[in-house]
Amino acid sequence: MNVSLEHYLMLTAFVFAIGLCGALSRKNAIIVLMGIEIMFNAGILNFVAFWHYKYFVSLTAQVFAIFAISIAAAESAVGLALVIAVYRHYRSVDLDEMRSLKG
Amino acid sequence: MEIAFWILSAITVMGAIMAISLRNVMHCLLSLILFFFGIAGHYFLLHAEFLGAVQILIYIGAVAVLIALATMLTRHITGEEGPREVLGGKWWAGMGTAAIIAGLLWAIIRKDALARLLPTEAANISYTALVGDIGRALVADWVVPLEAMAVLLTAALIGAVVIALEEVIRKR
Repeated sequence: MNVSLEHYLMLTAFVFAIGLCGALSRKNAIIVLMGIEIMFNAGILNFVAFWHYKYFVSLTAQVFAIFAISIAAAESAVGLALVIAVYRHYRSVDLDEMRSLKG
Repeated sequence: MEIAFWILSAITVMGAIMAISLRNVMHCLLSLILFFFGIAGHYFLLHAEFLGAVQILIYIGAVAVLIALATMLTRHITGEEGPREVLGGKWWAGMGTAAIIAGLLWAIIRKDALARLLPTEAANISYTALVGDIGRALVADWVVPLEAMAVLLTAALIGAVVIALEEVIRKR
């Protein structure tokens, strides 16, 4: 049994679900960001798996993956700056305590 | 190839599960680095060597250090959550959503119509994308997106500094 594209799709679907679970159920904002990074990585691995199994002679998928990684890095920088700003305000990184907009 | 795939998959899944389930934030970060290494190994296995190097440089070199600094700048220096609950208020809803998404993705991938479309073998192993090819493609075919990415990264850098400095400016 060779490793097929379906194996990679299964793996990335599972890892994406793990990241989603962490992003939705944890209380610490930093770990929520970690879950978002896990989801990003699962998506990019999907791109590379499709490139490997279907469009191996084209470089488009690799370039797209590089752009996606750059955007993920920028997102993580801004997200962590937001976490630090929110921490300055609330003295906490617990998402449950950030409820100013809640009536 | 197959044994390497299963070992790397085990590392990846284990790292991801530990990264979102451990109590100590620093332990979560170390598990996340393990997960990033697993993904980089997958890239090397898929003949995307440059992406594997980029993964190690950007994610393990930059993002992991950024998360470590953010963890140390916030209150829990050791990252210890203490006896308090680590899960959010409606954690059951989040886990249910994740389980439903996992089931949906599983069903879509397992569907016969899609499985027939998916190739089982790699397309053409004889060609390997060299780093030089990717570099030439970036500055020839994709030069406009590359410049847009440079502007985006600069904007993100300035934005991150402004957001993190906001309170200090207001106090003066």
